[in-house]
Amino acid sequence: MTLVSSKETGPAQLEGLAELALAEGKNLGCSDVSIIGEITNNSQVRFSNNTITLVNNVQEITLEVYLAKDKKRIVGATYNPSEEGVKKFVNNLLASCLSLPENEDYTPLPPGPFAYRGTGNFDTKVQDAEIVEFTGEAIDQALKAGANRVSGSLNTSSSELLIRTSAGAAGKDHVSMMLLNVRAFADDNASGHGLSCSSYVSDFTPGKAGYTAGEFAKKSLNPKLIDEGTYDVVFSPTVVANILPMADEASAFAIESGTSVLIDKLEERVGVQIFSLDSYGSYSHGLGGRVFDDEGNPTKDTAVIQNGTFRNMLHNCTTARKFGAQSTGNAGIIVPHPFTVVFEKGEISLDNMIRDTKQGVYVTNNWYTRYQNYRTGEYSTVPRDAAFKIEDGELKEPIAGFRISDSIPRQLSNIEFISTERNWIKWWEVETPTLAPAMMISDVRITRAVGS
Amino acid sequence: MSQDLVSFAIEQAQTKGSEYAEARYQKTFDLACLLRNGVPEPATMVDAEGIGVRIIFEGALAFGATNQLSRENISALIERLVSNAKGASRILKEKIHFSSEEAHVAKWSAEEQKKVEDVSLESMISLLKDIDSTLNGSIADVTFPNRMLVAGYEVDEKYYANTDGSKLESRVPRVYYQNILVAMYEGKPRTVSIPPGFATLGGSGGWEIIDNLNLPERIPRSAKQITTAVKATDKAPADESLDVILGPGVSALTSHESCGHPGEADRILGREGAQAGESFLKPEKLGMEIGSSEAMVSDDPTIPHSMGFYMYDDEGVKATKRRLITNGKFTEFLQNRATAEFFGIKSNGSSRTVQFDREPIIRMANTFIEPGDWSFEEMLREIRRGVYIRSFMEWNIDDKRLNQRYVGLEAFMIENGEVKNPVKDPVLEITTPKYWGSIDARAKDLEFVCATCGKGDPMQGAPVFTGGPHIRLRDVRVGSR
Repeated sequence: MTLVSSKETGPAQLEGLAELALAEGKNLGCSDVSIIGEITNNSQVRFSNNTITLVNNVQEITLEVYLAKDKKRIVGATYNPSEEGVKKFVNNLLASCLSLPENEDYTPLPPGPFAYRGTGNFDTKVQDAEIVEFTGEAIDQALKAGANRVSGSLNTSSSELLIRTSAGAAGKDHVSMMLLNVRAFADDNASGHGLSCSSYVSDFTPGKAGYTAGEFAKKSLNPKLIDEGTYDVVFSPTVVANILPMADEASAFAIESGTSVLIDKLEERVGVQIFSLDSYGSYSHGLGGRVFDDEGNPTKDTAVIQNGTFRNMLHNCTTARKFGAQSTGNAGIIVPHPFTVVFEKGEISLDNMIRDTKQGVYVTNNWYTRYQNYRTGEYSTVPRDAAFKIEDGELKEPIAGFRISDSIPRQLSNIEFISTERNWIKWWEVETPTLAPAMMISDVRITRAVGS
Repeated sequence: MSQDLVSFAIEQAQTKGSEYAEARYQKTFDLACLLRNGVPEPATMVDAEGIGVRIIFEGALAFGATNQLSRENISALIERLVSNAKGASRILKEKIHFSSEEAHVAKWSAEEQKKVEDVSLESMISLLKDIDSTLNGSIADVTFPNRMLVAGYEVDEKYYANTDGSKLESRVPRVYYQNILVAMYEGKPRTVSIPPGFATLGGSGGWEIIDNLNLPERIPRSAKQITTAVKATDKAPADESLDVILGPGVSALTSHESCGHPGEADRILGREGAQAGESFLKPEKLGMEIGSSEAMVSDDPTIPHSMGFYMYDDEGVKATKRRLITNGKFTEFLQNRATAEFFGIKSNGSSRTVQFDREPIIRMANTFIEPGDWSFEEMLREIRRGVYIRSFMEWNIDDKRLNQRYVGLEAFMIENGEVKNPVKDPVLEITTPKYWGSIDARAKDLEFVCATCGKGDPMQGAPVFTGGPHIRLRDVRVGSR
């Protein structure tokens, strides 16, 4: 069954509102105005204990508005898509803006027009996808693989975006996503996790994600505790995407704020030679992304870490001017950020990685990553769902109840293997669409709680 | 107009045959400013407004929202919800029912003296600059070369109605201040926050809450306290069992993480299984012993000026104080109308949503360890060897809420009843039964801080207080980072 979603709101309405907001900002004497309009249509099925708990459809028109006047700057978002509401919002925004002091970091918006790379990852079929049936498929496959309870959510989103700036940028983008997060339980202490993340219906594999979750759940029955110590750990792509947030660390804002492990490391070796990571605007036939940033610059492909060396920060125009660099097309008006993260693939299959690890641990999923010190990258995270001991190059008994306590710089220097296989990841613990491989990192510290 | 549309949505849903319907107009306005290293960044303003509707149709629960506020769009929204619920009901294995609850008609708000809308960005920036000037230098030989200071307010206005006849209108302004600092001592950087643990200061009400905090005096005073942690070089005891005193900020978080969350009935029933997780508690575990008689935890949305303040929840149920753990036993779970129906009881009004386009789900409001009758000095006096963990930065817990960890920021050895040398990054990594079972004393000095609680899919960051007094744990293992 297709979740019914309204289609009467058209691009013409969005375009009209964006033009109106732009004109209002200019009429009010703003030196810089940037408008990003978006129509989103989000559908969701939530499920637990093998049954649907909620069907959800949210349709919105939003405008993000950036204004600068007399070097005073403000950015806002309005959910009121009426002409009167948009005019009122722009006026309120400017009134607040004018009560600010001049911003010494003020940098004009980049002069357009720009040529954008068509539109991003978009499939018209996503809006009409049979998401209740897909949900049923994920549940059925998880049960078939050995689970007895299945929970999760299946989300689809279709967005039409456009940008208008006072500096002449004008463009459109379309983005669609289908995200399935499925967790299967063979008993209360044995669970497995599966993801299917795609921009295209043809790439969406709910049955496979469900089966993976169910299979891991079954293999996790009767997990044992593991001794504290250091281990060689194979991390699944889902975990890698979370514990090595190097594109966020490369944001010039984080570096300037002193909260990044990459501060003062530009052009320095920060990891092993086999490790490379890129920021993409919109990765061809990938997941999500954008063709323009919030200042109107076309998004780009930027090497962040190349063969272990930190090559580029991610910039908007403001941070670029401060660092004497060019924008990398990663605005955020305040914080430059990645739109898509791509870990470059390695040269070994996951199976061979486990075989070559010999003695260690395999972690398939994690959550609750928190830092003791952002600057040094000291953090801990809690593995959840299936995890196994690796003995003699094979997955052995399931383990549970432990924690990874480590630091980002140490891990970057101890990556031993990177897999050839990569998965698209976006879920609760990974906000930016990320194409990630599995990795084996040596000498990872594992701790666990004391008490019954 | 918004009230008419809410009533219209209810009528439409009833006409279409819904067993239950509720509609909520919600306008959430947020204005904030950021001062970074003494320089104002662009301010931010978010004006979110729309209507969210939830129905039960043929046993299926459907939620939807729109920000196009016309009868035509509301009508189309109801059509979609009914159609979606119908489709889902075909493969539904368990029909959803809500508990029967009393209908309420009320208009309520948080008490407010200095209206937040009258506070300009100029005055917020001025306040942040005053605070920043106290940190832009050396404090006890520690400098703070990187400083991010945020101040702002939010106004949450709602009109809610349901098919039971409830009609509730509310206004809750909230004000907040937070910061992240990089502290530097002898060339070594360390990120900290005031309050520690990335907590926030503020509450519900007018700007007088911020005025009364006297931040330009309070923040440098706290910064000076934190310098002891920044300078600490002594390692914490490694894998040693000893007595521990936790500061109010730490005990506050434990009440939230290892009592409030596992006591959420939707988690207990598995509804959040794939995201926020489940719980070590099962429905039949109500009444189970989890700790010593000194384990006493409550959650109370009705505390005036608290960040989690409300009088009625987002299912129209009147808010009450909940006694979660009483004398070491789980005595109450947090319930909404769906889980209450499962348990065969009335809801205790724990259902909340943060924006018009999010479904209401079970949330904590202001969770805290009840104060006892000890003083800090009395607790200290009886410890021969121990660690005082006054505050923390890193923490986490597994998704069943059994295996938790708190890493100290300000921490000191205790020897023969006296606080001694500061120690670096002591780690309390402990199971939930061991934690609640080790408490033998609670002080009188209950304190609250603000936090944002993450739960739901899509994610909803809910404003809460966490609270606690100094507490003492006997014979627990402390490790070192």
